[in-house]
Amino acid sequence: MIVNTFELIKEKLEALDCEAWELAETCEERWEFYFIRHRLDQNRAVNTREYEVRVYKKSDDGQFIGSAADRISPTASPEDIDRVLEKLLYQAGLVKNPYYTITQKQETPEAASGSGTGVREIAGDYIRTLAGIEESDTAYINSYEIFVSGIRRHFLNSNGAEYEFEYPSSEVEVVTNARDGSHEIELHRIYHSGTCDPERLKADIVKVMQYGEDRLKAVPSPVNGRCSVLLSTSDAVPVYMYFADKMHADYVFRRISDWKKGDPVQGSDAEGDLVTIEAVADLPGSSTNYPADSEGSIIYDRYLVRDGIAQDYCGSRQFSQYLGLEKSSLISNIKVSGGKLTEEELRAEAGEYLEIVEFSDFQVDSMSGDIAGEIRLGYWHHDGEVTVVTGGSVSGSMNEAVRDMRFCKETVRYNNRVIPAVTLLKNMRITGVSV
Amino acid sequence: MKAPFSQYLSDIAPALKDLIAILGSRYDYVSILSTDSAGFNISISQSSKSVSNQNMTTERGSVVRVCRNGLYSEAAFNEFDPSDAARMAEQLTQRLEDQLALLEECGSKIYETDILPDEPLELYAEKETQQLPESCDIKSLVEYMSGLSDSGMEKTEGALDVIVRAVSTHISKIFLTANRDMRQSYVFTEASVVSYAPSVHGDIRVVFDGVSGCGGPEIIYGLDEKISGLPKVMKDLVTADSIEPGEYDIITEPGVTGLIAHEAFGHGVEMDMFVKGRALGAEYIGKRVGSDKVTMHEGALCDESVTAYVFDDEGTPAGDVTEIDRGILKGGICDALSALRLSVRPTGNGKRENYAHKVYTRMTNTVFDSGDDTLEDMIASIENGYLLAGMDSGMEDPKHWGIQCIINRGYEIRDGKLTGKVVAPVIMTGYVPDVLGSVSMASKDRRVDGNGACGKGYKEWVKVADGGPYLKMRARLG
Repeated sequence: MIVNTFELIKEKLEALDCEAWELAETCEERWEFYFIRHRLDQNRAVNTREYEVRVYKKSDDGQFIGSAADRISPTASPEDIDRVLEKLLYQAGLVKNPYYTITQKQETPEAASGSGTGVREIAGDYIRTLAGIEESDTAYINSYEIFVSGIRRHFLNSNGAEYEFEYPSSEVEVVTNARDGSHEIELHRIYHSGTCDPERLKADIVKVMQYGEDRLKAVPSPVNGRCSVLLSTSDAVPVYMYFADKMHADYVFRRISDWKKGDPVQGSDAEGDLVTIEAVADLPGSSTNYPADSEGSIIYDRYLVRDGIAQDYCGSRQFSQYLGLEKSSLISNIKVSGGKLTEEELRAEAGEYLEIVEFSDFQVDSMSGDIAGEIRLGYWHHDGEVTVVTGGSVSGSMNEAVRDMRFCKETVRYNNRVIPAVTLLKNMRITGVSV
Repeated sequence: MKAPFSQYLSDIAPALKDLIAILGSRYDYVSILSTDSAGFNISISQSSKSVSNQNMTTERGSVVRVCRNGLYSEAAFNEFDPSDAARMAEQLTQRLEDQLALLEECGSKIYETDILPDEPLELYAEKETQQLPESCDIKSLVEYMSGLSDSGMEKTEGALDVIVRAVSTHISKIFLTANRDMRQSYVFTEASVVSYAPSVHGDIRVVFDGVSGCGGPEIIYGLDEKISGLPKVMKDLVTADSIEPGEYDIITEPGVTGLIAHEAFGHGVEMDMFVKGRALGAEYIGKRVGSDKVTMHEGALCDESVTAYVFDDEGTPAGDVTEIDRGILKGGICDALSALRLSVRPTGNGKRENYAHKVYTRMTNTVFDSGDDTLEDMIASIENGYLLAGMDSGMEDPKHWGIQCIINRGYEIRDGKLTGKVVAPVIMTGYVPDVLGSVSMASKDRRVDGNGACGKGYKEWVKVADGGPYLKMRARLG
């Protein structure tokens, strides 16, 4: 007897003349709260259920396979579902990719950490934490937006691979102001997490408010030409994602990355700290603690890069099989190991450097290696002094920076990324304001 | 042909009106936005091919907005039984009551707002299109796009791949209140070609070009013209050097002009930021923010682009706002709730990422007006500078009027002539009034591009279009 839409779609997929299929049901309960100066601007409740379907069709000669995907609304009628599946079967036959297989049936993984916490509890923690932050007349919170989701996902494919799991995911956007008379500075942060970590959130917002007060005193950036740049905030995350992206099977197969297993990816004569990056399934506090990826492959712990040597690729079923990998999955959480020196030692050894704590939008392009960002707040450490600066831009290339980059022993977590607390990129190009 | 309004929405409309009537007895204001938008997303390259009927604008769902005691609340859902509106009303009310109970426990105070006006209004609009994404010939499209990828590879020296992407959505939306019944249906389409190749320096360089507009999948066939330009641009890029940092006279091609329009003043006059005191623009209305050559418009009526809707997600008819008139800041754009708080009229810029997301003040078409100059005269007027082409990304800074634009490439100009030397990439930064104040020439032609998406900060992605003519100005490049 058909009991629900998931079962109905499953039954229809089983009757479809296709090579393979995948079906995923995602249910989300999301609570949202928008505050302006601690007054509630709006509250929102979101309850959605969606069915994603992918149908695969093999070519007559068995050499190729194509797929087509769609999202089926829970309001779809049985006739609507039939039409969608027939269309997908037709469309799958229009695209031909070298043959690959979908996920095999595997042992059901365990629930990840944080999966039992309710949306109401997490939302309450955020509201209370943000309301309780100490402010002053010159440094205060302008506004904040809280998004807390409880997500349940049920995946099934035609090979019998089936997983059902729940996880919390939250996001908080905070805007802070610092004021000196009519001169006002705004700083902005988005925090992603699984559950709320009140102490950690509070500490970071207090630090951001201090940055705002510092920016009130900032002078136009006088630095021009080449210098070392030190990153001590979440802006350093893209630096390490460059390494992870280069180990993505998609990038390798498409020849965007030429990194091969066993290669010294920072060069055989690297002069800096050697990078170690591990992909992990479960990272306490992360908003992406799910045991299986979107294709049903179990996410497992593995090194992507270890001591500067390329180890394992990660990626989708399609590209992983094209590279001949027996086992792979997409990645969710990343852990980067710390370097040799403590933060204090690294700062002392760095000499003159520009520590940038606020960018307009810091970018590391994993394809080209280009580094770019406009400087909103930096600390120019020179001649035993520290000058607070603003304006200008930093540019450079990760392809070159990997050879002598340094990072400290201490690590810090930004949602689903654990990275060294400070990262030093040498020989970056700085365009100051007074050029 | 007319893009037909969704049958599903027509079918559930009476039940949605019942839902409004039930909720109307509990709340001071009730509106519903329901959506039913179908489309596709096709990607063809040498390394992989895919077809999906999902993209960032395909959706089916509803959102109820209610107001009681000055507090606005919303409940979004995508499961609705039209035969039992009363049960839905109970569920939605309970979900919001659960939240209010938590807020009361936490001692949260309310930002009180008046009740939105609800003058009677009926509107039914079906815009023209040649094809519909849900029924067009996908087989022919896939073959066409495969042919483009193949010919692009053949003609572009050193290319590692040529990716051809196409997205099309047939949007249907209904907005209802006790007094309003507004229904619209239109199609937008965008397509692009992307190629990448190793440079002489060993890194990868990427070239992008695209077509877009308010219309059906027929727009995709305009890529013929775009693919023919790829080989020359790629040849320029793979030998490009880094730019010597400094301040230069520059000419921005329409794509870069649009990026500046979007980042410099587009975000700066989103008036929900005025409510929070987050935009410097609020203090500059009526004041000079650019040269006499700078006039800028914003609104869904400004261009038949990817965001040329008839009414926004709050039921406000689309508009055309003159934001800057010959250098003077005239006004901003505003969603309905912010307009109520600021005692101004909404401009038709209340947009949601989709039915499940909140309304913010968002851009639609953001466009600089054309001038009287020619590109040739503009190049001839520059002693030492660059013609900047190809937008990569940008970031706004409404509070401090900083601007960051990452631009694909710059063509060197010396003594009034293009030298053939190319630099890449280029980061343009500056203080917005300085940059716009330096605009000294504008070309007669203009172009509006709609291949990008815009975030509010780093979230809430919506389709936007922007553009303008070639502009000559002065800016800091690095």
